[in-house]
Amino acid sequence: MNRAIRRLSIASLAFFVLLMINVNYLQVFRVNSLAAEPFNSRVSSEQLKNWRGEIIAAGGNGQEMIVARSQLVKGGFYKRVYPAGREYAPVTGYDSIFGLTGIEKAENKFLAGTAPSLAVYNLKGLFTGKPKQGASVYLTINPKAQAAAYQALVAMGKPAAAVAIDPHNGAILAMASYPSFDPNLYAPIDSAAVAKNDARYRHDPAQPLVNRAINYTFPPGSTFKLITSSAAFATHKVGNQISSIPAPQFYRLPGSHSTLTNDGGLPCGNGHPTMLYALTVSCNTAFAKLGVTVGGGALHSMANAYGFNNQNLTVPLPVSASAYPALTDPAQIAQSAIGQFNDTVTPLQEAMMAAAIANGGTTMQPYLVAQIKAPDQSTVQTAQPAVLANPISPAVAGYLTTMMKGVTQDPSGTAYATAGPQATTIKIAAKTGTAQNGVNNSHLDDAVFTSFAPADNPQIAVGVIVKGGGFGADAAAPIALKIIQAYLGQR
Amino acid sequence: MTAVPSVADVAPRGPSRRAVPLPRGRRSTELAMLGFAVGIMAFAYAAAGLGLNGHMPSGLVVYVAGFAVLMGVAHLAVRRFTPWADPLMLPLAALLNGLGIVMIYRLQQSGRNGNPGLSISTLTTHAALYQLMWTAVGIVALIVVLVLIREPRVLQRYTYTLGTIGLFLLAIPALLPASHSSINGAKVWIILGGFSIQPGEFARIALAVFFAGYLVRKRDVLSLAGRRFLGIDLPRGRDMGPILVLWAIAMLILIFESDIGVAALFFGLFVAMLYIATQRKSWLLIGILMFVAGALLAGAIIPHVAERFTIWRHPFAPANIQGSSYQLVQGLEGMAFGGIFGTGLGAGQPFRTPLVQSDFIFTGLGEELGLTGLMALLLIFGLLVQRGLRAALAVRDPFAKLLAAGVSFVLALQVFIIVGGVTQLIPLTGITTPFLSQGGSSLVASWTVIALLMRISDTARRPAPQPIQDEGLTQVVRAI
Repeated sequence: MNRAIRRLSIASLAFFVLLMINVNYLQVFRVNSLAAEPFNSRVSSEQLKNWRGEIIAAGGNGQEMIVARSQLVKGGFYKRVYPAGREYAPVTGYDSIFGLTGIEKAENKFLAGTAPSLAVYNLKGLFTGKPKQGASVYLTINPKAQAAAYQALVAMGKPAAAVAIDPHNGAILAMASYPSFDPNLYAPIDSAAVAKNDARYRHDPAQPLVNRAINYTFPPGSTFKLITSSAAFATHKVGNQISSIPAPQFYRLPGSHSTLTNDGGLPCGNGHPTMLYALTVSCNTAFAKLGVTVGGGALHSMANAYGFNNQNLTVPLPVSASAYPALTDPAQIAQSAIGQFNDTVTPLQEAMMAAAIANGGTTMQPYLVAQIKAPDQSTVQTAQPAVLANPISPAVAGYLTTMMKGVTQDPSGTAYATAGPQATTIKIAAKTGTAQNGVNNSHLDDAVFTSFAPADNPQIAVGVIVKGGGFGADAAAPIALKIIQAYLGQR
Repeated sequence: MTAVPSVADVAPRGPSRRAVPLPRGRRSTELAMLGFAVGIMAFAYAAAGLGLNGHMPSGLVVYVAGFAVLMGVAHLAVRRFTPWADPLMLPLAALLNGLGIVMIYRLQQSGRNGNPGLSISTLTTHAALYQLMWTAVGIVALIVVLVLIREPRVLQRYTYTLGTIGLFLLAIPALLPASHSSINGAKVWIILGGFSIQPGEFARIALAVFFAGYLVRKRDVLSLAGRRFLGIDLPRGRDMGPILVLWAIAMLILIFESDIGVAALFFGLFVAMLYIATQRKSWLLIGILMFVAGALLAGAIIPHVAERFTIWRHPFAPANIQGSSYQLVQGLEGMAFGGIFGTGLGAGQPFRTPLVQSDFIFTGLGEELGLTGLMALLLIFGLLVQRGLRAALAVRDPFAKLLAAGVSFVLALQVFIIVGGVTQLIPLTGITTPFLSQGGSSLVASWTVIALLMRISDTARRPAPQPIQDEGLTQVVRAI
């Protein structure tokens, strides 16, 4: 029997060798991958022992507002507090035991104090025995503009988002999304409570966790006519804003039996309106036909120059790409030229379009983080404004500005009533959009509004989209107006 | 009992009988190593308190002194009743038992008195004290076995009695209503008035004795070869009876008690002993094939078993991670959190793993003692198994040989199943980790196994009786 026992002895030795190999594999080679698991609560709780940097809305000319801070709770842990809650949730995101979103995620290495550039401060802490401290993130957000944006969205009560940027440097002044979520519900150290809150938000059909300002795309509607115009000027198919273009009352789409009309089936002026007039009243037939004249390739490259189809834009939150497909079918080109077919945009993209025109044809890289400061208030990083693209020349930007002023200042303009002289003393340059939606346009139209102000000395560019808002000027324009008024401090 | 060895047994091996050194009992070595084991337990206990909240734990003296006294008593009993037993077994078991008590103390403190924890520990404030008391019961069991069973073959007389008792113990939980047999979904308990035992832990020992007795008697028949197929001697069909019956019983356990771990241990024990008794590899092959087939069949028809396979393969799948695989994932992440050197006792977060004090205590130790600690623990288990098998090799009595080999091998198998399960090497099945897991039944049963192994080892190492006079063929020997 001893031979069999010896063999079993080897077998049991093999058991232990296997176990030892596996334990080595787990505790040496799998350490990093297991630590990186999104739900690794040990790793996130370890970070709770450190003072995490603050997030401060600092785009208000000296007026600062803390929107995320760390508070010491029992057990020596720091709990995250978001004093502005839902208003800033699309910007701050949350820092939970299960993971991070928003600025909390994008700037985590600074907030948590793990960035290499912060090593010197933490080295000091190592010797003095103080817990690790993170750096604070100063946002470009202007508290007044942000408050105006969120309150206006709440008052509207429909899924919507608004983004405002400084056209000269790309600083994001406001970024609000509705419905929003309360990041404080992600802050508890009790993981069961967080999991429950998270599940409730995830199953909410209103999708409060989606940042509609940058991660949700809508059809641009007539606001795309700005790009069609840009392409027409750039390709010299049209001279300037007073050049006239053909605008039939009914436009049969090339190679198809469908007919395109203007809003309400009305004619567009005398059938040969100027660019200025066509944009002011937003003729569909004029721009559809113009799009076909310009061609799918030129439209596609102009859309790309304005920022469409960019998968890699970060502010530093990752931005969903706005889409404009490369088309060859004339009927599809005609539809796409007026913002229909498969065109989609984010509210940020709407703001970027207005900002490019306001800034003489140069798009600045949009950004949310102005500065990062170490615990001792020394500056670790300062944003450097950067040019993203030059979609149009300054001259074309001038033509477009004139046309966009017509939209609000001309009594026939689509936004005359809501953003014109009767509504505000501020001269606004804008374009409205009303995007048809659903099968056979069965859903309510999405309201789109892109604008900048003051028209002659641009300081702020605003993009607003209201899902199911109906006519663009009615639902979206007042929201943009409130943001502009709050930022410029005028009525 | 008087054993009269034949002349050959005591015949001198060298030219001079005086030159043969007398084997030594090595009891003093045992005592010194036992001192080490108690010392490690004491330091670990202090470290756990310091790691938790920076203070020496309040019960340090009570726990360490209590544990030291118990081990001292065990040592004295061994000195008295099995003076020739392997000197490593008691210290190895003591070290494991001591670390188990420390870990349970550390876990019961989670969330209490301002210590870190998700919430107040589900363990009561008496958990470690109870574990110490169960250790006392275990030591009593050790002494009782050493006193009552002075020769391993005494047990052979009770082959069928113990077989019946074993099967009965195994079957009770399946027959009892869930309120008296089920804890956390495992229907392997007998619960009577707040007192619960796991009869399976004891059934395994009784059945090991039964298998040893049965196989010693039947091994000649069972090793008769039938046909030869693919170079393997297959047993005769009519001899397949016992293995089929045992397989069926294992499957019944699996189905009625939802416990693939206990079924695997039970069946593994039988197959290993059958192999040792008959030396036929075909039995091993048949046994493994039958078990794999049974496990796959169970996986196909029992949802509970199928789930174990799923979470083994995809523990991090979003559908599993917050539910069925949560415990496994927490254990794995805990071990990764500990890394090579561990967080130190009391400084990790093992409380995040549900029921870490029982099935998952190995991952809790891995988190706080690190890879270095786990390697040491596995070495201790490995050494204990090898010492048991060593005793099996050395002892002459076939019954004792079979019994020692069986219980030693099943100890290795048990460690493999539970440690492999919690480290994602094999599908997870909930069984206890010998000596470490919280719970009296497992601890007392483990000490009983140590007692049996020490008794067999004592028999094996005991020097042959010295002849009083050496004249002619008739000898008078000292009876032992």
